[in-house]
Amino acid sequence: MKTTFNTQTIEINPANDGYVATLENKNLFIKIIRVDLQNGKMDVLIDNKRVIAHVSSDGAKRWVTINGETILLTKTSGAKQGVRHDHAGGLTAPMPGQVRSVTVSEGDVVKKGQTLLTMEAMKMEIKIQALMDGKVKSVFVSQGDTVEREQILIEMED
Amino acid sequence: MFNKILIANRGEIAIRIMRACKELGIKTVAVYSDADKNSQHVQFADEAFYLGDSAPKESYLNIDKLINAATQTGADAIHPGYGFLSENASFASAVDSVHVTFIGPSSDSIRAMGDKAESKILMKKAGVPTVPGFEGLENEKDFIKAAKEIGYPVLVKAAAGGGGKGMRVVNEESELSEAIQAAKREALNSFGDERLLIEKYIADGHHIEIQVFGDKHGNLIHLFERECSVQRRHQKIIEESPSPLLTPEIRNRMGEAAVRAAKAVNYFNAGTIEFIFDPKTSEYYFLEMNTRLQVEHPVTELVTGIDLAQWQIRIASGEKFPFKQNDFMQRGHAIECRIYAEDPSNGFLPSTGKLLQFIEPHGPGIRVDSGFAKGNEVTHFYDPLLAKLIVYAENRESAIQKMQNALKDFIVHGVVTNIDYMQAVLKHEDFAKAKISTRWVEKNFNDWKPAEPELESLISASLADLIFVNQKSKIENETDPFNPWKKINNFRN
Repeated sequence: MKTTFNTQTIEINPANDGYVATLENKNLFIKIIRVDLQNGKMDVLIDNKRVIAHVSSDGAKRWVTINGETILLTKTSGAKQGVRHDHAGGLTAPMPGQVRSVTVSEGDVVKKGQTLLTMEAMKMEIKIQALMDGKVKSVFVSQGDTVEREQILIEMED
Repeated sequence: MFNKILIANRGEIAIRIMRACKELGIKTVAVYSDADKNSQHVQFADEAFYLGDSAPKESYLNIDKLINAATQTGADAIHPGYGFLSENASFASAVDSVHVTFIGPSSDSIRAMGDKAESKILMKKAGVPTVPGFEGLENEKDFIKAAKEIGYPVLVKAAAGGGGKGMRVVNEESELSEAIQAAKREALNSFGDERLLIEKYIADGHHIEIQVFGDKHGNLIHLFERECSVQRRHQKIIEESPSPLLTPEIRNRMGEAAVRAAKAVNYFNAGTIEFIFDPKTSEYYFLEMNTRLQVEHPVTELVTGIDLAQWQIRIASGEKFPFKQNDFMQRGHAIECRIYAEDPSNGFLPSTGKLLQFIEPHGPGIRVDSGFAKGNEVTHFYDPLLAKLIVYAENRESAIQKMQNALKDFIVHGVVTNIDYMQAVLKHEDFAKAKISTRWVEKNFNDWKPAEPELESLISASLADLIFVNQKSKIENETDPFNPWKKINNFRN
């Protein structure tokens, strides 16, 4: 089974009484000691090194904790590449919340770092600032709007 | 003693108070909003009362609804917890007016200390040292003038404030106007009051606070300090007691000042006097008084042995506090880490979602005050505090080690937490040496990033896809007693 997480591809296949993982042209032998489904816990030997990992899945996301350190991986193989709005000049809501004020309108010329919009979420004020000097192409929200995470708020052009 | 207490709060603190109630043989009433109908505090209570919409204004901040909940359920006392209405004098009065006991100080004490400007004047009179600054300024011109006189950096903060909301550090005049506007908006939003005060910002100050406790019969003592200098965005994330900075003499002096401060407003119940402590001069200045139980009260409980939540209830019912100042001492060392659903590598933005995994650490000297469990939803409506992890050991060094190990065993999936970030903080040599000002985190950990995925995490993730799915189908096929196919298989065999 071949999977890509973030940018790294890993292949795992059953072998003997365990599995063989292939990544970065390396083969590692995996032996399973025990699996605790309830706690999402795996106790395994990877090339004879004992690793205890807690893993949870949510869609394409994988949460992995090993030795107290938690890593968030995103399964990218097979998945459609999402449009990165911030690269396309769009500014998105970092989290769900409410638009408190919009300080620019379409056609405004703005400087990098200028506050374009303020949001409120979890009683905190969050400023949405221009990532570059440019012109406001469109404003998609207005004061009082409730917005979802990743929702495009403002689109910019050079 | 009370028969039934309504807890006008949610999350870990609601559960903490309910535990105290249960120990005292008192029935508990939880209140909840739409977002909280499956929350832990609702399940933990003897009964639960629905308040309304998830927005705090429609639920946990709605005085009428809470009073109605208390009368409907026949509660004879209300515990406000911290945050929400805990320091709202009108709420305390409203509770009194329906002949229900407010578990906390009198509304007069709350009012006197709630106004940061007025309380400062009061403290000056009572001989408690205060930070140089100005109160009651109206327009921007006055602020500019005041800031100049005090000298930058200055701090503008909500007169009615607390908890870092409506507070801004201003380094130069050009930043002042925007800071005032933002602080005003936050202040209005959080406290319904946009008045601000301005004062000297003590750059390398430590935040050291003194717990006080008193009854309705005039007995009032202090329960030593908590050092709370590890802060992000003016909000504490790690607290400990004792403070490694204080000598017994300074500790005594601060304790006495705190008692004077509390007595100046005829205080009873649990309260905290916050000081900013200048390590260069060992001078300390009154910042504010929190007229409620603090988030970090467990560290005091662990080093002194008192159960603050229980005693809050007992003295609210009129009991005398039987202890004297000399009955208490600090023993050993306690540290608390606040486990927040937030992303430290992205401006500490709160992280929301369903908790896919939530495993709390256990062991000698480990206490977890938690408000969540696996499967619960973390929403954007409320403070992102998931749990408090508190450890206790014979000295600071052992307590730090214990905390590091306990954090390793705290597993949260589904939302980003500050656990790994706090490991980095605890590991830093400045922390070991206790050289931590309130700006230390900001200065040292601004560029903190979570670890890059290693081979082992990639393998584990990929392996999980394979074996958890297999295991699941195996369980479903073989051990499900209600699986109709199983019978057929058996029959065939």
